[in-house]
Amino acid sequence: MMDRRTFIAQFTKAFGIMGFCSLPFAIARLLAPRVAEASESRIPLPGALADHNEFINACIGCGECGEVCPPRCIRFHMNDGGKEANTPYIDPVEKGCILCGLCMQVCPTEALTVTPIRDIRMGIAQIDQTACYPWVDRGLCGACYNICPLGSVAIRAEVRSSNLTAVPIVQSGCVGCGLCVEVCPEPSLPIRIVDYSLSTKKYTEKNSGKYKVESEPGQVNSATGELKY
Amino acid sequence: MHRTWQRHLNKLRWLMLSLVFGTLILLPFFHLYQTYLASHSYDLLLPKEKLVYDSMESLTAPFLSDPEKQLEAVKGTTWSGTWFGLKLSDPLAVISQASAGMKLYWPFILTAAIPLLFTVIFGRFFCGWICPATFAYELNDKLGMWLRQAGLPISQRRMDRRLKYLVLGIGAVLSAATGAVLFAAVYPPAIIGREIYYAVAVGGFGGGTVFFLLTLLFDLMVSRRGFCRYVCPGGALYALLGRYRVFRIQRNVATCNDCAKCNVACQFGLDPLRDGFGQECNNCTACIAVCPTDALRFELKAKDAVNQGPGHLGQLYRKQQQTSEKAEVQKI
Repeated sequence: MMDRRTFIAQFTKAFGIMGFCSLPFAIARLLAPRVAEASESRIPLPGALADHNEFINACIGCGECGEVCPPRCIRFHMNDGGKEANTPYIDPVEKGCILCGLCMQVCPTEALTVTPIRDIRMGIAQIDQTACYPWVDRGLCGACYNICPLGSVAIRAEVRSSNLTAVPIVQSGCVGCGLCVEVCPEPSLPIRIVDYSLSTKKYTEKNSGKYKVESEPGQVNSATGELKY
Repeated sequence: MHRTWQRHLNKLRWLMLSLVFGTLILLPFFHLYQTYLASHSYDLLLPKEKLVYDSMESLTAPFLSDPEKQLEAVKGTTWSGTWFGLKLSDPLAVISQASAGMKLYWPFILTAAIPLLFTVIFGRFFCGWICPATFAYELNDKLGMWLRQAGLPISQRRMDRRLKYLVLGIGAVLSAATGAVLFAAVYPPAIIGREIYYAVAVGGFGGGTVFFLLTLLFDLMVSRRGFCRYVCPGGALYALLGRYRVFRIQRNVATCNDCAKCNVACQFGLDPLRDGFGQECNNCTACIAVCPTDALRFELKAKDAVNQGPGHLGQLYRKQQQTSEKAEVQKI
């Protein structure tokens, strides 16, 4: 039976040792504080695990995805992000993903798994019909559907007979690569990538686990400016 | 006297460390070069980008016919990388990822199989021969030596070697609790590879650079090679895995002359003079290189010899002393 004095001394010593050993982790965490997101347009990588927390669990922060990315669209939480520190993301405002799939092949963990291009779910494009040039009848643009790597399954141009402009309409096949955001000439970026779950339409799970969209997602009512559900 | 070839291993080790460090610096530039090649737009590059393009072209053109594809062969860092189609990962990455996600993902675990096998055979060889942080830490140690010679009062505190095992354990528990791969942020080889890539290809250093500079200061001010010896969780893991390694440096008593140069050369503060290697030895071979009588060399042995006592000169001295004492006793 030890007396109180030795107990307190032993306890303090053990506490000090534990403190010293967790110091590196504390310092590392302080060096990567969680700050308010600079950009709202951060989207996950192609083939990333659907659940963001699972993705953080799986990513070891080796940076190999960024090192193989041909357009260098993959960025990292370099000195921010808290526990997301050193994990990758894509900012489509700066650079969109070209869906080459190299990052999925090179990732050593299950954070990025090889996925067929049409099954990738990085997000889905949404068009603000009150700002997009053709939608507000300010000329012919078509930058988004011309750059789209998936073509008419992802975004379609609908020609309007009244004024002969072709307005872009996002289709259910959009995987959210963000190339349309990158090239959109309108400064307020009426096209953006939103999370699939945040999209304005309901989805029904069908065979082979593919998402199937009941109707056209993410359109904003041109007359009222409200999101159509 | 015929001298052992093993004293040249230290030079080979420095060559290896420089190669790894140089490769880590070159890889981001190769990546930039590949992206410039992929974009087919040399004329649109900025002058400094053109400089990168030209220098990388002159580096690779004699060896590679299709650099855009062939440079894919070596990618990543020592934390996790691809090496001619072979995916290799640090065993610590596997441990931290498994504890963060609380599940096993076999394709990833298998990438650590080859490093694991080598560690079981050679012990902490990664620390001494590959780790890009060791390159910086050993140079830092030289700097510390100069500073001491210049008269700066630099502390050489000794701590408990077992602290790093606690760091490993606490890190695994914290990873499981927070669900993030925390070791990636405190493990210097992972930090260095990543930060070089950030600095060259992404632009600007991340928080890891500050952490690494802090560890350099810790080594310089508090304890010689203190981070590797007392804190590094990777070193702890390798020491545990290499406890029963097959290749180990051993002392030959018959040729040892007790000069104690090995104890001074050992940056890890081990005691080769008294056969005190243990699991901490990182096979850096500095003691072999410095030994004037080649008493230290690698041997195939699963266990360290226990203290074999003084070397041949010491034994001779003792014998002479004993005989002279006997003679004196006989005289009396």
